[in-house]
Amino acid sequence: MSHSLLALVVALPLLAAFLPPLLPGAIRRLLGPLALLLVAALGVYLWRITLIEPVSLALGDFRPPLGVVFYVDSVAALFVLAVALVTLLLWPWRGDTSENLDRKQSLTLVLAAACGGLAVSGDLFNVYVFYELAAVAGYGLAAGGGTAAARVATFRYLILGSLGSLLALLGITLIYFRAGTLNLAHLADLAPQTLHDPFGLAAFFLILLGLGVKAELFLVNTWAPEIYATAEARVSALLAGLVSKLALLVLARLLVLVFPLPEARGALLILGMLGMLTGEFAAFRARDIKRMLAWSSIGQLGAAFIAFSIPGSLGLAAGLAIALHHLLVKPALFLLAERWGGGLARLAGAARRSPFGAALFALFALSLIGVPPLPGFWAKYLLLSGLAAQPDNLYLLAGLVVLVTTVVEAVYLFRVIGMLHGRDAAHSEKPQNMALDMTLPASTLAGSGAFAALLLAVALAAPWLTAPLARMALQMNDSAAYVARVLPATATSEATK
Amino acid sequence: MKMMELLLELTVMPLLAFTVGLFMVLMMRKIAAKIQRRVGPPLLQPLYDIVKLYAKETQSSHGLLHDIGIVMAVGGYIAAETMLPVPGMNGIADKAGMLTLAYVTMIPSLGLALGVGQCANPNGSIGIARALTAMLAYDVPFVVIIFGASWLYGSNNLVEVIAAQQAGGIASWGVTQMPLLAIAGLFTLYAMLGKQPFEIYVAPAEIATGPMVEMGGKHLGGLFVMQCFQLFTASAIYVSLFLGGGENWLFFIAKLFAVVAIPMSMAFVFPRYRTEDVLAVVWRWPMLLGLIGVWLVMR
Amino acid sequence: MNALDILLALSALMPPAALLFGRWRGYAWLAGMVLTGQIILLAGCDLPLAAGMNLEIFGRSVGWRLDAFGRFFALITLGVALASTVYMGGEWGERHAAGGHSPRWLHGALAGNVLAMLLLLSSQDLIAFFIGWELTSWAGFLLMAQGGEKALRAALRYVPYAMSGAMAVLGGLALTLAWTGTLDLAALTGIMPTLDNTKLALLLALFGMGFSIKMGLLPFHLWQAPAYAEAAGAGTAFLGAISARMGLFALALLLVKLMTLTRVADLAFIEGLFTARDLLAWVAALTIVLPTFTALKQNDARYLLAWHGIGQGGYMLLGIVIGDATGSAGGLLHVFNYATYQAALVLAVFAVMHRTGTADLNSLGGLVTRMPLTFLVMLLGIIGLAGLPPMNGFVSKWLVYRSLMLDGRPLLFLMTVIGTLGTILSVYKLIHNTFLGQLRAEHEQIREAPWSMTLPMLALVILAFVTGAAPGLALSWVAEAQAALGLPVLAYTLGGIESPRGNLDMLWIVGVLFAGFGIGALLFYGAGGRSKRVHQLDNYAGGHFLSADVRYHYSDHFYAGLMHRIGPFYRSSFTRLESAVAAATDLAASLMQVWYRQTVPALTLLVAAVLGLSWMIWK
Repeated sequence: MSHSLLALVVALPLLAAFLPPLLPGAIRRLLGPLALLLVAALGVYLWRITLIEPVSLALGDFRPPLGVVFYVDSVAALFVLAVALVTLLLWPWRGDTSENLDRKQSLTLVLAAACGGLAVSGDLFNVYVFYELAAVAGYGLAAGGGTAAARVATFRYLILGSLGSLLALLGITLIYFRAGTLNLAHLADLAPQTLHDPFGLAAFFLILLGLGVKAELFLVNTWAPEIYATAEARVSALLAGLVSKLALLVLARLLVLVFPLPEARGALLILGMLGMLTGEFAAFRARDIKRMLAWSSIGQLGAAFIAFSIPGSLGLAAGLAIALHHLLVKPALFLLAERWGGGLARLAGAARRSPFGAALFALFALSLIGVPPLPGFWAKYLLLSGLAAQPDNLYLLAGLVVLVTTVVEAVYLFRVIGMLHGRDAAHSEKPQNMALDMTLPASTLAGSGAFAALLLAVALAAPWLTAPLARMALQMNDSAAYVARVLPATATSEATK
Repeated sequence: MKMMELLLELTVMPLLAFTVGLFMVLMMRKIAAKIQRRVGPPLLQPLYDIVKLYAKETQSSHGLLHDIGIVMAVGGYIAAETMLPVPGMNGIADKAGMLTLAYVTMIPSLGLALGVGQCANPNGSIGIARALTAMLAYDVPFVVIIFGASWLYGSNNLVEVIAAQQAGGIASWGVTQMPLLAIAGLFTLYAMLGKQPFEIYVAPAEIATGPMVEMGGKHLGGLFVMQCFQLFTASAIYVSLFLGGGENWLFFIAKLFAVVAIPMSMAFVFPRYRTEDVLAVVWRWPMLLGLIGVWLVMR
Repeated sequence: MNALDILLALSALMPPAALLFGRWRGYAWLAGMVLTGQIILLAGCDLPLAAGMNLEIFGRSVGWRLDAFGRFFALITLGVALASTVYMGGEWGERHAAGGHSPRWLHGALAGNVLAMLLLLSSQDLIAFFIGWELTSWAGFLLMAQGGEKALRAALRYVPYAMSGAMAVLGGLALTLAWTGTLDLAALTGIMPTLDNTKLALLLALFGMGFSIKMGLLPFHLWQAPAYAEAAGAGTAFLGAISARMGLFALALLLVKLMTLTRVADLAFIEGLFTARDLLAWVAALTIVLPTFTALKQNDARYLLAWHGIGQGGYMLLGIVIGDATGSAGGLLHVFNYATYQAALVLAVFAVMHRTGTADLNSLGGLVTRMPLTFLVMLLGIIGLAGLPPMNGFVSKWLVYRSLMLDGRPLLFLMTVIGTLGTILSVYKLIHNTFLGQLRAEHEQIREAPWSMTLPMLALVILAFVTGAAPGLALSWVAEAQAALGLPVLAYTLGGIESPRGNLDMLWIVGVLFAGFGIGALLFYGAGGRSKRVHQLDNYAGGHFLSADVRYHYSDHFYAGLMHRIGPFYRSSFTRLESAVAAATDLAASLMQVWYRQTVPALTLLVAAVLGLSWMIWK
């Protein structure tokens, strides 16, 4: 078969993003979803074949390390699928004006393309390009809410994001300076000689900080609560659900392929712990649901960072499980939060208006805190068993952090559930319209319900999904295979040298 | 055959206990009279009192539970007596043991409490509240003593405890083996009998005789019977634990009366404690002695 | 399909069935029949039984297998659920639904609890165990939250406790896996005792804390009373009677089967003087005493019973920690006994609430003439709760006392007795303030509770009485459970136990007791003049005349003298501890938020980059 299909992952959404102005209205509105559906199908197809063996593609047939390389293993394929599906579920069907809608849809597609690109990119330069693309699309979407608060938040996000990009670029430059290549496979090959020293680590740290902005890494995540509180729910869902995961994936790849060093893991571990602690505790005192979810997502990503810092495929499996689980749950929660924004007290009695919505919220909350047999439990189980197996006490400490913050998380999530089911706001002095306002629209319920259906499907299929997950983690951990796949010639030449 | 014997014992034991109890009441009243320089009642006065109360013409009941309370109070003690070995008769003592006996003796109190409660008189309820508080006070050192004895003799079975004491003579009696516990026991017994200064729940001047406030006729007669049983039971337990039980009836009765006489001779010269002071004094001295005694026994 | 499969499948069907048909009147009878069938099936099957369903997750098998120890708890669970379901199915349920509550959710929550507990009780490995554990917690939460605003608030208070417990268990699970390489309970029995003391102590701390929270052991008990008391009536009965015992099940499993008590006794705080086992025994003893005396102060019947529920748990744990044949039999038997009378008591209190609308002990009184059956239930129930003969509560407590006496633990023994005495005081207050004393004018017209309520209550107390008179009936299950758990097995007879160091034959004791009552009745009714029934206001009142508008009932501050003495000991230390933890969390949360409120995050980023780089380079 032709692996050039791989390019469609990026090309299709981009095409769909920029073609519409040339097309008539009816088709124009369908083009985006159609492209995403195609990408999703492609993702399924890729996942099935890559579970057996990864594939790679050198664009334009420039042999690596010269050309642009796409590398798809089962992890990347699954993320391609996830990008397409989640974007589809969060697709902006309606806008204030036609023009506004066009812009939203285009930006969403650009974001999807960039995310797909991040998933499949095989070299750091491309990663940087796609990352910037995602960032720009993200700024556009975040400011798209149109309120002054959203613009201010986005501006601050922009400053932080640009600075982050700059740091990342600096890191990439350092790596290039030292190793003379940006191809990941090549780097993996060369890293032991060229990059496994303070210099290389410094480069890694800069990239970590840079890409960490999107991945809500502690130190560079202060933008998240403001953005999520002010942006549209769909945008928050995309940023928290999707973009953060792709940044995370790139960092994890870099860690596995180029910097499998204890210092790098240590940095990830400590920052992850701090992220969990600050995020979950801050959420504990959140006074509105959107900020609460934002902080919660910081905490969850902290858990993912902790997971990826565990050496070996067990850690990767845990990290993937956490990331994918969060990808399913958090967007759905943001969708629910769209109408339920503002002070928490407003939620009182909302369950009576939207029982289904409240039930969905409870389901997601339970999964988020890891109540078996929901998928969140298996993710947490993997994480904790991975942490407990490490000889280093720092990992045990991280385990303790995970446990404690989970308790905190349960408390604040259940506080919301209690609010939802508590005395009806109609009983308070505020009039009915407030409560009516809390009724969730059908579209929200449908979107969130779709996520819930996925979540339950995963819960039911859990026994059959563990083998593929383990396989994915193994593949991701196998840097030798990565090198061999992308650079067959170099690998042999190195061997003969 | 064995069964017939046992059934006979079960019938005789409560009767004997009641008879001894009657005379204990008499002794108590005699002692009181002596202290107050009165002549005191004649020999059969306690029995006359009971008959008189039962035969009274005006008998008022506050409802079924009022009656049942008295039934439980008397019946509970009748049952308890069969678990308390007396010379020549063991009844079902070896099927129950000390602890069970201690708990069975709470049933009459519970019955009384129910009966009094049904009367709907706050004085009665206050009396019960105080009586239960007093029970909480004296039962705590009481079980410490039971613990010590059962540890010393290696059994929970009163029959064996008595047998062990009688086998070794006075040297193996509880009072010589565990003197501290014996003192604590006497103190506890005193509190258990509920005479001055421990008669917080009767307190005629405060709560109009408390539990007895609505009792008259048969109800009060029942309480009278109960008191006979109570005196016997408390002293018999003490004799069984510390004074080698009864080798024969003569010694047994002598010991019983001696045990009851000690608190009775002191009682009538005291005023009444307040409820909280009962707790304080009983939880302090007999408890302290009891715990030290147990420590010595277990050492 | 073996018996366990059928059992679990039936239980799995019930929650959805309840959610679909819970509004239909006949549902309760249907559910009752299913539960009865399950009880018969379970009681009759040969154990151990492995379920057909077996999952393989992350290379570990997750399965379910029921042994006699689990069955003991499972039977109690099903029995209590049966009583609660029937109770819910009648007038009480209609009233509940009329009050704006959902019968479907109540039935569903109850059925969910049963399912979760059965899964927990039959778990074969720690993953299955944890699944059952969490399901039990959250199904319990659902049931707690069914009683309206206050219930919801109490249930929310349960969340941090439940979650801390769950996380402690999960942490223990992860460490167990790391240190032993297996999660299979059967395999762990051999391996866990061989771990070194530090590891064992850590596991004991984690698992122990998790399980203690569910059981409401000190100092983790504060959530339980309000959560159980405020729940909807039949739910309260179920929660109070059996839910917390899942913690005991788990603790017994951990202490006896997995770690073995001798290994627990190796973990010394002070060599030779105070070991982890002593600590557990003391925690159990304090759990008996302190909550019991808290119960004594309650003015709401539901809270009073809920607090006693916490206290009674202490007896069970204490018996098991002592670990000899007598003590552990007493501890386990107490689970059964307690379930019978506690469920009956709670149902009786809710029957009173059903008729009068209140459980406030200061606004009731004199109901014995109006609700005699309910009174009888409560009377027998409190005799059981107080642990007096002839009810079954006496037998199990007696076993515990005796093992403490034989084991030479005077102070622990003293604590148990103080607990019992406190219970007697407290339950007398309960029955006095509800059923005795003056009947209020507004309660003159009250009728006895309907049969749908009295029937399950009576069934429960009759069971409590029968197993009190013939404890051998229940002890056969207990002995089986002991054997399955690896404890020494009690040699029992139908009437109790026979042993060279003191026997107990309840058949004789109960027989003699009733003979005594009979003679007492004969004396009372047969001799002397006939008594005349007088009105409750025809009473001594120090020269005053009583009328219906005069409250002539002593209820408030019932044990004034006692409180005068022990009042200063109530320091609410645990409540303060709880608030301190909450305040500390809040403070930490505020501090964490400071980070996210920075005005110039970019500057922080730069500083962090520089610091990070220097760390990377200097390291």
